[in-house]
Amino acid sequence: MGVTCVCQVPLAEGKSVQQTIDILHKKLEQLSAVKQGNFTVDCETYHATGNASGQPTKLLYVMHNSETPLSCLALFEGGPCLTADGNFDVLMIKLKSHFQNAKGHKVESRGSRYRYCDFLIKVGAVTMSSSARGISVEVEYCPCVVPGDCWNLMKEFMQSFLGPSIPELPSVFATKPEGLYVPADCVDTMTQYLELFSKVRKQQVLPGTTR
Amino acid sequence: MTVFMRRSSQRAKKMADAMNVGVNLEAFSQAISAIQALRSSVTRVFDSLKDGMKNKETLEGREKVFITEFQDNLQSVNRDLNELERLSTLVGRPSESHPLHNSGLLSLDPVQDKTPLYSQLLQAYKWSNKLPSLSRRFIRRGAELPTGFCRFHIKLQYHAGLASSLLNQQSLKRSANQMGASAKRRPKVQPSTLVLPPQYVDDVISRIGRMFPDMSIELFRPNGTSAVLLVTLGKVLKTIVVMRSLFIDRTIVRGFNENVYSEDGKLDIWSKSNYQVFQKVTDHATTALLHYQLPQMPDVVVRSFMTWLRSYIKLFQTPCQRCGKFLQEGLPPTWRDFRTLEAFHDTCRQ
Repeated sequence: MGVTCVCQVPLAEGKSVQQTIDILHKKLEQLSAVKQGNFTVDCETYHATGNASGQPTKLLYVMHNSETPLSCLALFEGGPCLTADGNFDVLMIKLKSHFQNAKGHKVESRGSRYRYCDFLIKVGAVTMSSSARGISVEVEYCPCVVPGDCWNLMKEFMQSFLGPSIPELPSVFATKPEGLYVPADCVDTMTQYLELFSKVRKQQVLPGTTR
Repeated sequence: MTVFMRRSSQRAKKMADAMNVGVNLEAFSQAISAIQALRSSVTRVFDSLKDGMKNKETLEGREKVFITEFQDNLQSVNRDLNELERLSTLVGRPSESHPLHNSGLLSLDPVQDKTPLYSQLLQAYKWSNKLPSLSRRFIRRGAELPTGFCRFHIKLQYHAGLASSLLNQQSLKRSANQMGASAKRRPKVQPSTLVLPPQYVDDVISRIGRMFPDMSIELFRPNGTSAVLLVTLGKVLKTIVVMRSLFIDRTIVRGFNENVYSEDGKLDIWSKSNYQVFQKVTDHATTALLHYQLPQMPDVVVRSFMTWLRSYIKLFQTPCQRCGKFLQEGLPPTWRDFRTLEAFHDTCRQ
């Protein structure tokens, strides 16, 4: 598990989601990256019931990542998080009375996984209830565990195929107690995906992208 | 096949000339032709088996002919084999002593035609040996010998003598075995720096470990007296250094998040890193341990090596000094100059 950066890539001028993804794939293949299968990251939302009136309902997010197929992550936004095994989904069904599944709010990112030297790049189409909402790009630099060490290196790599639309430092690294000098772990990756999915949920449906 | 045989016999003759001959050349060439004969008789056996029974009137007739033919072929194989064995006892062994000591091993280079290094070396050696006798002949004839000629030879001998005495003083041998000596004559005594008490090695290592605050060195002795060090450099990498008394024997570099222990709980000193960057750093570390050599002061060598290794603390943060970029073919600058410790990409270093 190396340092991971998840960002949203804007659509190319006048192109659809799938076309922009194809452009990115082509750029990666020009760099001589090798395709290594597919990936999926999804996020389901649960409303916590039984709260005292007046308080905003707490939202629990349960996320899965194909990189860790036997685990799932449950987290509150900005709050504590829990890593559990796959049976946690069944447990959530049993806890129907306390947590209600907001079925229409399931967001997922699905796409191809590329490997270039020690980098892992995942380009996925973000969909919510079968409508494509955007493009997510995840870049992981596997040998390094400290974000502060390799941030510049990762930026240089992302520039080589994303062009000018390189992201800023993810907030999840800046808000850690020691800042950039703590080992990164998979919770950081999922937190970044959660931020991206929340942003995607809030934005409007892109014109001409409903399937 | 015959061309190959001819060339190999020519090469054998050349080698035999070069090495002080104890080889019976006649028997040698006869042995080679005996090998050819043996090969053809064996081929004949398999050909007859492949062809199967010949067409005759009766089944018994066919079988009989086949069996007789097969027996004849086998007998000829047997004959040729015996002949070969007889000749091989006559061939003799080449002499053990090489005229140019270790450089005699150059004669084993198979690409003799393209790089005739050994024969040229021999010629140069014979020429420089003939110099005194040639010069004496000139003087006897009363010819005016160019003084440079004599002076050159004297200087050559003097420098060669100096060099050999210097080289013999500082034994650069990393192994205890002597080349070319038979097992009985091999001396039982090892060079003094190879046999050091383990306590001394422990002290040196712990002293070096205290020198660098961001580097931690753990010492293990999983197999006998050879120390195995686990060097953890910040949160960047972990190195396993296998020592032989105070000499560094080999090293393997892995990532900070990679497992250094194998399944049975011991230190895994063999598996390569999963990451290309650390595989590259392992290669560079091997180059470094061969570069830093000082046979009489091994602790200085270990200290220099650790200082060099410590420069990798900023492996992912430092751009290349030559091209200014972080990445070249997906790798950060993995080369550290041995003197200045500057970072370069492997392809950018001079």
